[in-house]
Amino acid sequence: MDKSQLFGRRLPLTQAPAGGHNIPALRQVNGRWQCQRCHQWVGPTDQLPHGIPYCRHCLNLGRLTTHTKLYTIPEPNQFATLTSSPLRWQGQLSPQQETAAQAVLRHTQAKRDQLLWAVTGAGKTEIGFPALAWALQQGWRVAWTSPRVDVCLELAPRLAQAIAVPQTVLYGGQPVPYAYCPLTICTTHQLLRFEAAFDWLIVDEVDAFPLATSPLLQLAIQRAQKPTGSHLYLTATPGQDLQRQIRRHQLAVTYLPLRYHGYLLPPLRVKLVGDWRRQLDQRRLPGKLIRQVRRYQQTHQRYLLFVPHVQDLARVQAALQHAGLAGGVTVHAADPKRQAKVQAFRDHHVNGLLTTTILERGVTFPAVCVLILGGDDPVFATSALVQIAGRVGRQRDHPGGDVLCYATSQPRTIQRAQAMINALNRRGRRLGGRRP
Amino acid sequence: MMTCVWCGRAVTPSVTLATLWHWQPLVAPEVCAACRARLRPLHAPQCPRCARQQTTAQVCHDCARWGDAWVNHAIFPYDATLKAYMQQYKFQGDYRLRVVMQPYLRQALAQETYDLLVPIPVTAGTWLTRGFNQVTGWLTDQPFQQVLTVDDAHKPRPQSSKTRQERLRTPQPFQLTPNATKILPNQHVLLLDDVYTTGRTLRHAAAQIYLGGAKAVTSLTLAR
Ligand SMILES: [Zn+2]
Ligand SMILES: [Zn+2]
Ligand SMILES: [Zn+2]
Repeated sequence: MDKSQLFGRRLPLTQAPAGGHNIPALRQVNGRWQCQRCHQWVGPTDQLPHGIPYCRHCLNLGRLTTHTKLYTIPEPNQFATLTSSPLRWQGQLSPQQETAAQAVLRHTQAKRDQLLWAVTGAGKTEIGFPALAWALQQGWRVAWTSPRVDVCLELAPRLAQAIAVPQTVLYGGQPVPYAYCPLTICTTHQLLRFEAAFDWLIVDEVDAFPLATSPLLQLAIQRAQKPTGSHLYLTATPGQDLQRQIRRHQLAVTYLPLRYHGYLLPPLRVKLVGDWRRQLDQRRLPGKLIRQVRRYQQTHQRYLLFVPHVQDLARVQAALQHAGLAGGVTVHAADPKRQAKVQAFRDHHVNGLLTTTILERGVTFPAVCVLILGGDDPVFATSALVQIAGRVGRQRDHPGGDVLCYATSQPRTIQRAQAMINALNRRGRRLGGRRP
Repeated sequence: MMTCVWCGRAVTPSVTLATLWHWQPLVAPEVCAACRARLRPLHAPQCPRCARQQTTAQVCHDCARWGDAWVNHAIFPYDATLKAYMQQYKFQGDYRLRVVMQPYLRQALAQETYDLLVPIPVTAGTWLTRGFNQVTGWLTDQPFQQVLTVDDAHKPRPQSSKTRQERLRTPQPFQLTPNATKILPNQHVLLLDDVYTTGRTLRHAAAQIYLGGAKAVTSLTLAR
């Protein structure tokens, strides 16, 4: 086995390579076994025959038992020296983006843990480029990670084009084997296979499921980072946790409250309705929603209609048809025709797309309005609501549009989402942001 | 708080009037209702030989090609749910998941007539890496006899990565243990395996067991 495969990693191996340190994969702490890869506790019944404990929490990275050893070789930063900046990106940052990029670069150079809080549609990836190029030129080992596979898959080719260094891409079921490279692009889950490897870690969509709720992945980030290293969180919607860290000055923050086109975010407006689920049982929907959809149909305005659950999709569609409003299609995460349906919407073949939270992030449609039915349902967390609102007004020539939330109550999730959008717009206005 | 052994979600154990008054299959409380609902047993019409679920009750094409009178019973169709289960239990080695199937196996075995239960063995190499026999993991207190051994040399790569044609050509991988000829004579043997795919493995096992003197051999598999 090539030694570089073990640089800064933590891997179960059957044969010890020269120069590798090892630790037992499971360690006994106060009579309980703890996994040294994922740090979870092994349950008392999680045993193979003959009473051999094994970890069930990180099984999909290969099973660890009390017989397994985890090997590592300390990260040597054995990379080719770069005499010039590896940045190949030809694009132009706007003055706002440039200011943010320089701030991120300064924090990176100072090895400060930091957060880039950029509104949806601000172009946060490109804002990270100058700092990334600088870090790689220093000979740093860098990881760009996200809790979401689709973010990694979308990012890898963009980074390959923008930055001229070897990169490796890691996620569950990746087709290309691991290679030791200055730049690693991986899901946060894959970080469990690293130990003190990275001088700098970028965590994209830091608030996205499941990172927000997973101490396991937080730990993975901490351990994969060198003790001397630092990290950059990227988000449009920091959760309560990160906001607390900001207030306590544990994180340096760079705000980018304006979209690249300089317009403010469209506000989230709440329309109170009655018990729409009861109405739905009779194939009816709130009158306010019906009238709004009818207006969109008449003016050929495209709209996204978000519902809380997959099971709601067909019923809402039936109720719309019952009201004489055809022309919308439904799409959900496991929908085999997902790509085709989204494309049909993109190509203006359908006027409306009925969907669940799967389309909350990353998907951009020009000149679209957004309706959220049951916005008070717990599936619509504050971050999800802000992300959904962020689908509207992404284009320079269509910077505005409706974001209407139909709810029977106004829970804290909605109030916080409105407060977050308002706070960002206040900052944006100070930078000269215009109302769409 | 209890969590479902399969999906990890919290379960609230409940005893309803229905479970008290009606005899219901004994299902491990460690598995949540949603996971149990995903497990849909095979139902008629089935192939009378291999238990495959189909649109008629006729002998299926594959069984007709075998041209023998083999009888296999099975509990579940080998669908996406069972594949996901086997992936985690057998291939990732999550031995704990054996409890999901134990109640189903207990019930199915109670309905079989046999003298001797013989699980399909795993190779020594598999024992080293997986650490368990996935078939005996499903047994609770049912007595069984391990009269077969299987050799690593005869299993160059996993059954699951072979095509049907390759599997049918597989040479005999089983041997009888030294005590087999004392145990087997005049016995009705029930073979137990995880999945009936082509029936090749079970027929190889049966051939050896007949050589050991058994009077009848049938089989039960978790999935077909
Ligand atoms: Zn673990
Ligand atoms: Zn479950
Ligand atoms: Zn058949």
